[in-house]
Amino acid sequence: MTITSLRHPFGIFLWLMVALVMVYILAPLAVIVASSFGTTGYVAFPPQGFTLRWYEQALANPRYVNGFLTSLRIAAIVTVVSSAIGIAAAYALVRYEFPGSRLIESLFISPLVLPGLVLAVALTIFFSRNPIATGTDRLILAHLTICVPCVLRVVIPVLQRFDRSIEEAAQNLGASPVKAFFLVTLPVIRPGIFAAAALAFVMSFDEVEMSVFLASPREQPLTVALYSAVQLAFDPTLAAVSSILIMITFAIMVVHQVVSRIRSAR
Amino acid sequence: MNAEVELRTVSKAYGDAYAVDRVSLEVARGELVALLGPSGCGKTTTLRMVAGFVEPTGGAILLRGQDVTRVPPHRRDTGMVFQSYALFPHLTVAENIAFGLKRRGVARTEIRSRVATMIGLMRLSGLEQRLPRQLSGGQQQRVAVGRALVINPAVILLDEPFSNLDAQLRESTREELRRLQQELRLTAMFVTHDQAEAMAIADRIAVMNKGRIEQIDTPAAVYHHPRTRFVAGFIGRANIFDAEVIARDPAGVAARGPAGITFVLPQGDHPGRIAVVLRPEAIRLAAGTDAHGPNTVAGVVDVVAFYGATAQLGVKLADGSRLLVEGSGDLPQRFAPGSAVVASWAASALVASAA
Ligand SMILES: Nc1ncnc2c1ncn2[C@@H]1O[C@H](COP(=O)(O)OP(=O)(O)OP(=O)(O)O)[C@@H](O)[C@H]1O
Ligand SMILES: [Mg+2]
Repeated sequence: MTITSLRHPFGIFLWLMVALVMVYILAPLAVIVASSFGTTGYVAFPPQGFTLRWYEQALANPRYVNGFLTSLRIAAIVTVVSSAIGIAAAYALVRYEFPGSRLIESLFISPLVLPGLVLAVALTIFFSRNPIATGTDRLILAHLTICVPCVLRVVIPVLQRFDRSIEEAAQNLGASPVKAFFLVTLPVIRPGIFAAAALAFVMSFDEVEMSVFLASPREQPLTVALYSAVQLAFDPTLAAVSSILIMITFAIMVVHQVVSRIRSAR
Repeated sequence: MNAEVELRTVSKAYGDAYAVDRVSLEVARGELVALLGPSGCGKTTTLRMVAGFVEPTGGAILLRGQDVTRVPPHRRDTGMVFQSYALFPHLTVAENIAFGLKRRGVARTEIRSRVATMIGLMRLSGLEQRLPRQLSGGQQQRVAVGRALVINPAVILLDEPFSNLDAQLRESTREELRRLQQELRLTAMFVTHDQAEAMAIADRIAVMNKGRIEQIDTPAAVYHHPRTRFVAGFIGRANIFDAEVIARDPAGVAARGPAGITFVLPQGDHPGRIAVVLRPEAIRLAAGTDAHGPNTVAGVVDVVAFYGATAQLGVKLADGSRLLVEGSGDLPQRFAPGSAVVASWAASALVASAA
């Protein structure tokens, strides 16, 4: 009998904790999804009646639809660019020990520990003095300052664990260092890259502070649209939008699980 | 000179510490040379300099007569078998073996036939579509060797290729590798710290110590004529005595050793202080207490180890040191611990090396 068994007193305690954490994390989501179907004009739980009216309204509202598309576009660009920069930088930091590489690594990571609001204000001032970018590009650049470090954080340990002799074997067999990287290193660390890219995507997609400060008024990301709507009134349309996001996330997770099951069964 | 690999006073310094110190070495076509030495003596560094992964701080490396000292690894014609095998985890056995051929732009149909030949040669039939993690250690090792062989490199470089295999598999795998190497007339350099392994399969052994090659010779020559004290101690078992030359004449050289032993060695050009090497199997034992004359010493048997066909005895000498004696399996019956014995040996069994 292990201590994680339900017959062990400590096992019962552990399972209880797991259940509590699950409830704590999932209950708010359940409340949002449930109340998005309610017929009352305000968010109520438990919901009364059943209607898809709020979904209709949400999907008919150009602020939300355009916001969603804008967020998607920003997140996609940020994901690709931050992955490329992050992987290259991580590779350089792990492979080539040079004076100050430790310091550079810490500097790279530092935006992650700054409060988002501080970064947002700083970047707003920066962009108003240095108009190097306009409109949505400013937000993309701003998101890169947090998404590149995030990719680095994930990819550096992955590269450190990667057996370097595999790369050397590729070179020994005739692959140039660049070819060896793309033919061997990249495919082997691909799961880590995917994780980093996914994290960068999510980080950009649900980022609020910098978006509020820097977004172009003509192209508001979804977070900004939701944020300004909340300030007026929390009507069930917001719950419907949130529910759609939750369901998309859920669907992606399910697909990912299924695909990786099939992969590993090969 | 038809050397496939030539190292000319190659050195590698890290700071002011020399990992490899002026190593010179030639490997002829079809020859297997073992780099043998204790941990940290620079074997791996030497091998990696031949492959191009470590840049020498001095000297030159030639492959088939071409100076490749500054040529990057992917343009050198070497096939390396890594200690960890370093198989590509995302590629199948067949794809792993085909990797080098693809980089060389070999035609598709030829790749297929050469991979198939190699799969047969390495006894990997039926495993072509497996991923490395679905193979046993021995199979992985054969993929690693096949992957290096298929590109027909000027030299095969093996870094402790058997160290991840269990004892039995290690022996059969190394015999197989030796057979393959002789059949295909492969030129190979092979790193090991196991002297028995080097003796068993190498044409020549380069014994390394502290970044230098102390001796490079056939296994028999390294064993019977160790040039330095280090080589004598590292290759096989040896009794090594510090001795001082006391007389020279045409018949031989006399030297005084510890425990009152007088050695008489065959004539040779020996300096005043020498290390006398005496292999345990060259010693004869007889019951008794009196040792008269040179090349003999009295002592008391103190430890006995029985190995079946052979046995080893430790004989305690007057000065407290121990003489190691090896003989047939009946030795323990004839000489129980505590019995007084006289050990003797032929002058021809003695080798003097630098002290
Ligand atoms: N990158 C490095 N930086 C500094 N010193 C190094 C480096 N690589 C190797 N050395 C040193 O060079 C010496 C030789 O190392 P090498 O790996 O060639 O030894 P080896 O004979 O292969 O030993 P082993 O049997 O343990 O594998 C060692 O003392 C090692 O500490
Ligand atoms: Mg080594």
